[in-house]
Amino acid sequence: MKVLRRMNASSGQPLVQLSGVTLNLASLAGQVNVLRGVDLEIAAGETLGVVGPSGSGKSSLLMVMGGLERASSGSVRVAGHDLSGLSEDGLARLRRDHVGIVFQSFQLIPTMTALENVAVPLELAGIADALDRAETELRAVGLGHRLDHYPGQMSGGEQQRVALARAVIARPRLLLADEPTGNLDGATGAEITELMFDLHARHGATLVLITHDPALAARCGRVVRLADGKVVA
Amino acid sequence: MGMAWRLARRELRGGLKGFRILVACLALGVAAIAASGSLKAAFHRALAEDARAILGGDVELRQSYEPLTADQLALLSRYGSVSTVSDMRAMARVGEKRRLVELKGVDATYPLAGNLRTQPPLPMAQLLERRDGMAGAAADPHLLDALGIGLGDRVQVGNAAFQIRAVITAEPDRVANALSFGPRLLVAQDGIAATGLVMPGSLIRWGTRLALAPGADLAQVRADLAQAFPDAPFSWRDTSEAAPGLDRILDNLAAFLTLVGLTALLVGGIGIANAVKAYLDGKLANIAILKALGAPSRQIGAGYGLLIGSLALLGIILGLAVGAVAPWALVQIAGESLPLAARVGLYPLPLMQATAFGVLTAATFALWPLAQAARVPATALFRSRIEPLSGRPSAFMLTVLAVSALGLAALAVLGADRRDLAAVFVAAALALLGLFRGMAWGVSRLAALASRQRRGVWARPAARVALANLHRPGSSVVSMVLSLGLGLTVLVTIALIEGNLARQFGQTLPARAPSFYFIDLQPDQADEFDALVRAVSPSAEVEKAPMVRGRITHIKGLAAESAEVAPEVQWALRGDRGLTAAAKQPPHAVLAAGQWWAADYAGSPLVSVDAGLAKGMGLQVGDTLAVNVLGRELNLTVANLRQVEWASLNMNFALILSPNALAGAPFIHIATVHAPEAQENAVERAVSDALPNVSAIRVKEALIQVRAMIDNADLAVRLAGLVTLAAGALVLGGAVMAGHRRRVREAVILKVLGASRAELWRAWMLEFGIVGAVTGLAAAGFGSAAAWAILVHVMRADWTFLPGLTLATLAICIIAALMAGFAGAFVALRRPAAPVLREE
Repeated sequence: MKVLRRMNASSGQPLVQLSGVTLNLASLAGQVNVLRGVDLEIAAGETLGVVGPSGSGKSSLLMVMGGLERASSGSVRVAGHDLSGLSEDGLARLRRDHVGIVFQSFQLIPTMTALENVAVPLELAGIADALDRAETELRAVGLGHRLDHYPGQMSGGEQQRVALARAVIARPRLLLADEPTGNLDGATGAEITELMFDLHARHGATLVLITHDPALAARCGRVVRLADGKVVA
Repeated sequence: MGMAWRLARRELRGGLKGFRILVACLALGVAAIAASGSLKAAFHRALAEDARAILGGDVELRQSYEPLTADQLALLSRYGSVSTVSDMRAMARVGEKRRLVELKGVDATYPLAGNLRTQPPLPMAQLLERRDGMAGAAADPHLLDALGIGLGDRVQVGNAAFQIRAVITAEPDRVANALSFGPRLLVAQDGIAATGLVMPGSLIRWGTRLALAPGADLAQVRADLAQAFPDAPFSWRDTSEAAPGLDRILDNLAAFLTLVGLTALLVGGIGIANAVKAYLDGKLANIAILKALGAPSRQIGAGYGLLIGSLALLGIILGLAVGAVAPWALVQIAGESLPLAARVGLYPLPLMQATAFGVLTAATFALWPLAQAARVPATALFRSRIEPLSGRPSAFMLTVLAVSALGLAALAVLGADRRDLAAVFVAAALALLGLFRGMAWGVSRLAALASRQRRGVWARPAARVALANLHRPGSSVVSMVLSLGLGLTVLVTIALIEGNLARQFGQTLPARAPSFYFIDLQPDQADEFDALVRAVSPSAEVEKAPMVRGRITHIKGLAAESAEVAPEVQWALRGDRGLTAAAKQPPHAVLAAGQWWAADYAGSPLVSVDAGLAKGMGLQVGDTLAVNVLGRELNLTVANLRQVEWASLNMNFALILSPNALAGAPFIHIATVHAPEAQENAVERAVSDALPNVSAIRVKEALIQVRAMIDNADLAVRLAGLVTLAAGALVLGGAVMAGHRRRVREAVILKVLGASRAELWRAWMLEFGIVGAVTGLAAAGFGSAAAWAILVHVMRADWTFLPGLTLATLAICIIAALMAGFAGAFVALRRPAAPVLREE
């Protein structure tokens, strides 16, 4: 309830605001300029598709938005917070309270059951009935029969559904998805896509979706194209 | 095979990473075993090569009271040159100063073997000859220090005075006598007579040595002697056992070190299993691909087997190199304090033994995961990559595994000098492995139970992560508990045994031990002795007993040499023992079986035997025992068994005879005196002034000597502790490292989900803290039990629980576990999230 109220209170301004964001990473071959001045605003409740060729900086952009990677220059504001002013732990709290992330390779904790994986964000927020709510969430994504399974015991599609349930359980205002269907076959990918847009519709979170799939991008309210570290369209 | 080789070679290109622990664990264990074996061989070679010098000839005939008869000497001289030495304890005096000395009288032919070295170097004749009416002597430098005299000064012993002409720097035949109560004073044979100290029954030991003439046969000498003098009281000692006491100490020490090496190997074995499993877990995809391409299980097993085998070989070779060099370094360090000049060198047998241990350990611990890996199906490719190895190896591999494990146990037991102890060790080690394994399982199950809680303390995120790590598949709990647990149990055991012995010799024994043992009291001096002591120390407690020395010759009618006697009571058959006679049951004595004889008993001679000794000799009430006292054979019937508490250091005798058995024997009395410390010097002076033939042994000084011996053994004990600890640390490090990738991933995902670093810290500290605390408690418990068993049942010493030591162990355990956790977590927490996520 508290989360919902905060979301309503700030609906007037963009949820994500990037201006002049660059990202330089050191590599063996020298410095690589991954992002070269990205300006982007994403309104609350919007669905945004990010497309572009491999190596164009899509994933890095998502990492910057999620506070997993610090921009080399420029400013990043998410849910009213300037990310450059936050410590590691501050960034972690921001994610806990406002951001859900879905990865191409699921990133479940292998030593935890599906139920526990989904409960983690709520447990981190100190919510008492985390496991009960995780169970509800898993049933909502059709995994009521897999509660006590470990990630290694589930199919890719099932794992991604667990990851989706985990990403939305804390009702984040921003849901970041990095090629969520990239590791799945067509039919399973389609199921996950349906589920993702369904969750977006139900919970009203802002959805940022990175994808290679033009059909998937087309379902988004807006599409931006990235090339060579810049927004080109 | 060709394909297997190629596979092994290609995988080896990946480097030793992941196998460093395996190589290190094997090297450590093999080094410990090779080093102890080589050291033992070096000392045995020294004992064998120096045997003639240690013995003073090819054979020594020893007896108490009297030298060999002229007939006996004549027989011996037919086979070579003969030399006779005698030694006794006596009080040396200079002015007011007194010092107990080991007085040794030698003849002109001494030493028949080896060299006596003195400073200044003088020939024997000049050293000891009578010059200007004054006999000469050579002395241990400690005696000069104690009495405050120098070369050329005089020292009084009994009625005789001796001039110190040189200090002894090396006495070839000193090693043979394990324990000495005072410094050496070497004089001519007639010098001992001149002291006037030799009275009927005085405790003087005679040794006649024979150096064989070329062509003479020792067996012939023995046979001739036995035929000509069947009842002679002397005992025979030849070069095959020149210094049995030292021999035994060395064997025990080597056995102990070998067991420690085995423990290190066992702990290391867990590290080997972990390393192999972790490595193969990472190769599952390769194996599945090979399977998909048509490689049969056997080929894959052979390939990885070759790879692991060659790395194991590397570890073994490293261990052998270290083990072969270590004795040299040890001898360099300990050189001065060693009783023998160890012949350090390359001894193939111990090295081969260490190799066998290494090979069998590597096989026993690596085969299971290897066999599992060979059975990975090609379909594993389509499953999740993190599914660890599981399943049961094939029946064939299980058989191979069982054979190698049994071989390891058999080698440990059959290769040991004390097979019974080695068997107990193997059983205990297996039991410990099982117990810790069970405990790890218990911790996992409890963690699983706790993690079902949906609310409460255990549902907090830190606790949930900790619990997850404790009970999930691939959890490192088992290897952590085993590595920490086994190593620490050994450490606690060693520390508690050492602590208890140090306590006993440092505090408990001195507190209740008598101040003095007085020996060589003549029967008619007994009353005077009492009066002398009372005059200077009215509160002193004096206890006296008659004593005569004799040798056990027959047990239940069998010659003592051929009787079956347990190793721990062999001491009773080496040379003469003190015998006493008593009409009434002594006040300390507690009967374990049988009855005490009537005070006026006059029937066939009876004996009361120490219960421990009786057990070792298989004696029961009613059995017979024969002793030889001064050539007279006494046939005794066991009347009762007594519990003797040797550690009280009160006057105790293994054998107490009925008074009629020893009627007419040349008794002396020995006495113990408990006197207040402030009066000890006065007691000693009063007795030695009035009764110069009586020698005083200061018990506390003897205890200090024993304590010093224990402290010397400390070096071995500390090394042993270090080796086990190092093995445990290696395995612990390996266990933490094996889980490291997983931990980094987990940390990153949790950070993505919003966990703070503090929360991650808490989770890991909780996880490692639980493992450390539980393992530490168990190790303290098991270690205490083992130390108790060894102290009480093997060493027959007292046992006191030392809570400080145990707590320290517990603390070490928790700290070690936490440090291992910290080291892992520190790195994991510093890793930024993005690169790890990008790796996927």
